[in-house]
Amino acid sequence: MEMNEILLEIKGLKAGIEGKEILKGVDLTIRKGEIHAIMGPNGAGKSTLSAVLAGRENFRVTEGSVTFLGQDLLKMSPEERSWAGIFLSFQYPVEIPGVSITNFMKTAVNAHRKAKGLDALKAGDFLRLMKEKMAFVQMKPEFSKREVNVGFSGGEKKRNEIFQMAMLGPVLSILDETDSGLDVDALRIVAHGVNALHTSEKSVIVITHYQRLLDYIVPDVVHVLKDGRIVRTAGRELVAQIESDGYDSI
Amino acid sequence: MHNTFSIHEGGACSMVIILDGSGRRILRSGASEDGAVNGSLDFDRVVLRKDARINLVYIIMPETRADVDLAVELDGEGAEALVSGIYLCRGEDRVQIDMDIRHNVPHCISRQLFKGLAGGSARVGFYGKITVAQDAQKTEAYQENHSIILSDAAKVDTKPQLEIYADDVKCSHGATVGRLDEEEQFYMRSRGIPEDEAKVLQMLSFLSPVLDNVDDPDIREEISAAVDSAVRNL
Repeated sequence: MEMNEILLEIKGLKAGIEGKEILKGVDLTIRKGEIHAIMGPNGAGKSTLSAVLAGRENFRVTEGSVTFLGQDLLKMSPEERSWAGIFLSFQYPVEIPGVSITNFMKTAVNAHRKAKGLDALKAGDFLRLMKEKMAFVQMKPEFSKREVNVGFSGGEKKRNEIFQMAMLGPVLSILDETDSGLDVDALRIVAHGVNALHTSEKSVIVITHYQRLLDYIVPDVVHVLKDGRIVRTAGRELVAQIESDGYDSI
Repeated sequence: MHNTFSIHEGGACSMVIILDGSGRRILRSGASEDGAVNGSLDFDRVVLRKDARINLVYIIMPETRADVDLAVELDGEGAEALVSGIYLCRGEDRVQIDMDIRHNVPHCISRQLFKGLAGGSARVGFYGKITVAQDAQKTEAYQENHSIILSDAAKVDTKPQLEIYADDVKCSHGATVGRLDEEEQFYMRSRGIPEDEAKVLQMLSFLSPVLDNVDDPDIREEISAAVDSAVRNL
């Protein structure tokens, strides 16, 4: 098999919060076009890994490196990471009272354009783009006027995440426990969105405790994260083994 | 001695009162008719007769030492007072707001909503008093004061005081002093919105319920633009 270009390379990553080490040396290489699943029991460090990749400031990296498209990711601010093409779908999307989805996305899209040296989108072009991407995750047009995530159901919040992913067109999407709190219909819509956005130039990291989402978003590589380390890496057949034998068998 | 502004029976008046470095100016709009009101625009006391309505919005811009002192007398049944405002403070700004809302008769409504931002070493004081007289039954009186502190040296004191002598009333007050939410900021930044812009979005959304009270669309647009640019420079 020919090797694609490396998108993300994590080497010996140690990180923690408030003096407690959670990631104890993570190594991970993701190439363009690959879908990776990171599975693991609660408390293994899955969410810490996604937080560190997105640049959450209360986590401290004590050792190791993360390179994204040849750049030192750990030196970049959260907004710079977004401009570079990283997208984190939050496990718990944040409510922003008083800020409409339209205003939120317009500000985000135009910040991305500015970072690329482009002018802001014309209002009409922006609204067309919104409409197209909202239909993509089956969001009704009136969604655009609602305050970001305020009063949304679990399914609406996760669809809103995938809508934002579609608007921003990231190169690397990290889905942090996107299946939590989703019924099967919402799960299908979300998975369909992720699959439809996937190309040979883009990669996805699916972080999950359960097999469920991986029935719809089929990974090329499966990693098991346990006690802050990746203890096993294999093909998609590993998912079935975990489902039948549990994490203790790994 | 008070400078009194009166609204006669059934009259209505909307005003935006802007306090900035150049002083105090008033933008009037709404349903005020000649003869429905009288008194000085330099008022510090408003009297509402039967079914009279007033909508006052104070806009306190940065670099202002403001002392807003207002008494509202609800003197006729069915009167309604909406008094709201924002304050945008930085540096050495000093803002003091004293509201004295008096429900003297039954069946009146008063709503107060003051929101503001305090940066630098600004000092803000809000003192809001609501008095409901013994026979002012079926009164509805609401008061909200919310502030966001933008720096460690800024200080906000908020003191609500309710004196209710009637027993069949709906009254409430709420006061908070907080900071900009960092979770919201991280969420916005993870979407590529720069930190400063994320803060501006938060501040404007915080203030918008007050700006929504400006009922004339042209005035609202003018005020919103001025507030937007002031917030970006706090």
